[in-house]
Amino acid sequence: MFKVIRNRWQHWVNKRIPRSDQRSFGQRNIFILPTGAGVVFGVLLLIMLITGINYQNSLIYLLTFLLSAVVVAAMHQTHRNLSGLELTLIQAGEGFAGDVIPFRLRAVSPRHDTLALSLACDDVVLNQQHIPAGQQADLNLSVPSQHRGYLQPDRILVETRFPFGLFRAWSWLRPVTSGIVYPNPVPAPDVTSTVQDGEEQSKSRSIDGNDHADIRPWREGDMSQRVQWKRYARTGEMVIADWEGEQGSPHWLDYEAFSGLDRELRLGYLAHQVLERSRNNSRFGLNLPGQVIEPDTGAAHANRCLKALAVFGLEQPREGGPLPHGTRTGEGAGHAIPASGRGAA
Amino acid sequence: MINRLRKRGRSVESLETNELVSGRALIWLIASFALLLVPQWDRLPVWLMASCAVLAGWRWLAQSGRLRLPGKWLRSGIMLTLVAIYIATVQGRFTVETASSFFVLAVGLKWLETRSVRDFYVLFFILVYLATVNFLFHQEIHWSVINLVGVALLLVGLQVVNAPDIPGAMKSGWRRLGMMLVKTLPIVVLLFVFFPRMAPLWSVPLVSGEARTGISDSMTPGDISSLAQSSERAFRVTFGGETPPYRDRYWRGLILDRLDGETWQQGFGQQFRRPGRVSVDGGVGELASNQYDVLMEPTDQTWAFALEDSRAVSNNVKPDDQGLFRFDRPADSSVRYRMAIVDDGSSGQFGAVPDNAQRYLQLPRSGNPRAREFAEDLAAEYDNPGAIVQHLLDRFRQQEYFYTLRPPAMPEDGIDALLFDEKRGFCAHYAGAATFVLRAAGIPARVVVGYQGGDSGADDEYLIVRQYDAHAWVEAWLPGQGWVRMDPTAAIAPQRIESGLRDAMAEEGSFLENDWTSPQRYGDMAMLQWASLQLDRMNYHWQRWVVGYQGQSQMDLMSRLPGGLGMRELGYITAGIVGVGLLLAGLVNAWQYRRFESRDPFSRIVTRWHRLCDRAGVPVRHGETPSQLAFRLSRAKPAAAGTATAFARMINKHYYGREFETGNSAELGRMKRLLATMKRQADRKQQGE
Repeated sequence: MFKVIRNRWQHWVNKRIPRSDQRSFGQRNIFILPTGAGVVFGVLLLIMLITGINYQNSLIYLLTFLLSAVVVAAMHQTHRNLSGLELTLIQAGEGFAGDVIPFRLRAVSPRHDTLALSLACDDVVLNQQHIPAGQQADLNLSVPSQHRGYLQPDRILVETRFPFGLFRAWSWLRPVTSGIVYPNPVPAPDVTSTVQDGEEQSKSRSIDGNDHADIRPWREGDMSQRVQWKRYARTGEMVIADWEGEQGSPHWLDYEAFSGLDRELRLGYLAHQVLERSRNNSRFGLNLPGQVIEPDTGAAHANRCLKALAVFGLEQPREGGPLPHGTRTGEGAGHAIPASGRGAA
Repeated sequence: MINRLRKRGRSVESLETNELVSGRALIWLIASFALLLVPQWDRLPVWLMASCAVLAGWRWLAQSGRLRLPGKWLRSGIMLTLVAIYIATVQGRFTVETASSFFVLAVGLKWLETRSVRDFYVLFFILVYLATVNFLFHQEIHWSVINLVGVALLLVGLQVVNAPDIPGAMKSGWRRLGMMLVKTLPIVVLLFVFFPRMAPLWSVPLVSGEARTGISDSMTPGDISSLAQSSERAFRVTFGGETPPYRDRYWRGLILDRLDGETWQQGFGQQFRRPGRVSVDGGVGELASNQYDVLMEPTDQTWAFALEDSRAVSNNVKPDDQGLFRFDRPADSSVRYRMAIVDDGSSGQFGAVPDNAQRYLQLPRSGNPRAREFAEDLAAEYDNPGAIVQHLLDRFRQQEYFYTLRPPAMPEDGIDALLFDEKRGFCAHYAGAATFVLRAAGIPARVVVGYQGGDSGADDEYLIVRQYDAHAWVEAWLPGQGWVRMDPTAAIAPQRIESGLRDAMAEEGSFLENDWTSPQRYGDMAMLQWASLQLDRMNYHWQRWVVGYQGQSQMDLMSRLPGGLGMRELGYITAGIVGVGLLLAGLVNAWQYRRFESRDPFSRIVTRWHRLCDRAGVPVRHGETPSQLAFRLSRAKPAAAGTATAFARMINKHYYGREFETGNSAELGRMKRLLATMKRQADRKQQGE
């Protein structure tokens, strides 16, 4: 019974707060309820009122009314503390399974100070963040990871109890962008056996490699010659074609080398090998079923390989599209536009 | 090189309230505790005050690391010891003093285990209620201010506990609290005025074990002279018409008609005391010219003080068969009641002599033989009781009797000693002696105890009657006249009756000789007198209009409003005020939210850009990035391509740029100029087509 209600509530909240990397908190998505202390204080006010009635004491009446009014004012204060805050996930981190993955969030509070803000994701809590009015602060939330793959926190709880702790105003950020968790590196039993015969590999690859290129978005460090300019003119997207078959070195890390083993274990071996190669600064390529990364050197390359290992065989989680900046959604144009507001200085 | 990423959270703690409370927050709690104890200083035993100071000090030293908080065993030991002392001193009495002591003891002990935020909240609740309890005992304006400041300290402390590390927490905390109070004050005032003052839901007497200063229901010679050393206020009176002259201000309180050895007592008609509380306000509306309002300090007794020939106007006092006035219940807090002076003199006829003549002729079997003999001589000499009374007064006036606050000890046959040997005494001595003589002469007589006189308050608005105005005099029953007042003191020391004890004791110098702190002692210092009177006036109005705003005052105020509001209407009004208040707060909040939203200059520019795109035939699509929109715009209006791309880049930069690069007015200005150029370019193209 309880579970049913909980699920319904979850469902309702998810509908109300769709996934987005950017959220501006306002009346539509802030929830507010008294805390335990708030409830006790309410009971105390009632007792005080009864004391005032029974002893016919005007000053107790006065104190009771004063404190009740302050409680109501505090409720609005707590709500306002959160309302207007804009939270943007600006970077979802990467890391190895079992590590904490940093999620970088930018908080902007254009109107008034946001004080004593807490962010929480599962068991991790980031307490006492203060964002002065008109300024922005970058917050790092470290989300623990267990398995390799995409790490998409279902909800990041954004909460404040300021000023009195009698009320708790909260909302959620449900990010679209996922962090990437690399497989936990496991030392491979026999490193040399994974080295493939380069000649043959390159030949076969260059044959069918010319036919289909691996199209991927432009990233920092890509050479401009590789940008598909025609496609850019058509769609506005900067994409890179990774033509297969232009590899040089025969050092290949191959998924198939560990045939018969568990998939996760294989990926762990490969991750370890990538790290090792990278440390030795040697040239290597990665061969996964359905994906080949050309041999190269350097940190960016290693990173790319690890990412490929991390998401191997997994679908990117996606629920609802992101709402990028400057988007108008019908009536509520004003709301969809992130009121950034650092304000005219 | 790829290094494993380490967690970089600023502080990873639990959200729960079991984190440790910070020293900054604690100091507020301790300060508030100290302040809220101040109004209790005369009620709490010294050992308890001292233990509280030690325990709170200990907690503070532990916070700053100079001491360690006691372990479980030591803590239990301290707790048991203090509770044992408490039980030993209380001895099973249940009064408000013992209850509030227990309360304070609980707070004191809690200091040693205040570690977490949860404990902080527990203390917060207890201290708020302690402030409430303080209001039961002290309602003067200065105590009220102390109490409210104590509560304000708690509320600032709560803010500190919820955000311990923000800079300037104290200043912003006060400002925030102040803003809240200012914003909510109208609602609080309306609620205070309109909240229906119901009758007590159940009766809870405010039992006090503390002896109050004031007259008591028995009189041994010497009792009233000790009262004369106190300048505490007994009651204050506002007259509707002329204030009666000093010598006529006889405030009758109670009648002592039974002489038991040396002590005069209330003989009969001692009423059964019902538990419960007296209605604390009475009498509403304008005072008629013959009416007067008395605001009496708590006495824990049922008697009310009234001038002779008075009639009760408010219904919280009732006349008894001796022409005195009584409350239903002991006055354990200040009480207001209203009386009227009736001129027909009929009130003196109470207590017809034939029925209870014995009662007013009672004397001990033996003692004071010379006084008895003197009375018998008088009775033999005069057949008219009035002449006996007159003779007695003449004797007091003509012979060398002295009125003094330092009478000699008269242990045996005190009345004889006073009348024939020492001839020095205070009002109680003379009243007792005169009654004795009259009774011995066969004239029904009784001792009346109350106050005589009263000084003017600031600007003669009202009279202040103090404890040193306590007085005792005699009433004798004369055939055809009824009860007649006879005051031996008036014969011996007319100044006492004409202008008060200060003047009567001017020669002796014994006025308030033990009370160094009383401003009344320094009657010759004009500034001091003025200040003390002004303070008293402030308190008087505070008590009358704020503290005394109870059932009848409220009903009176409401009856002056059009429509004649009853209790039920008041309930509706209160509900309405609360509802409207909440609604208003919500609306103001929402309105501020919207207003600010449209004010944000950055989003306004973006909106303007979107409108421009719309007009250019490129409506914004759902889920489009600024770059995509700029791209589509440049295809539709190639002339504006450069500016559109630059503009989109600036939007991106605004959101994703580094903190210090964005958000300044230069950036906004550049965006505005870009937008203007873009608009020109788009329009020019249109004209060209």
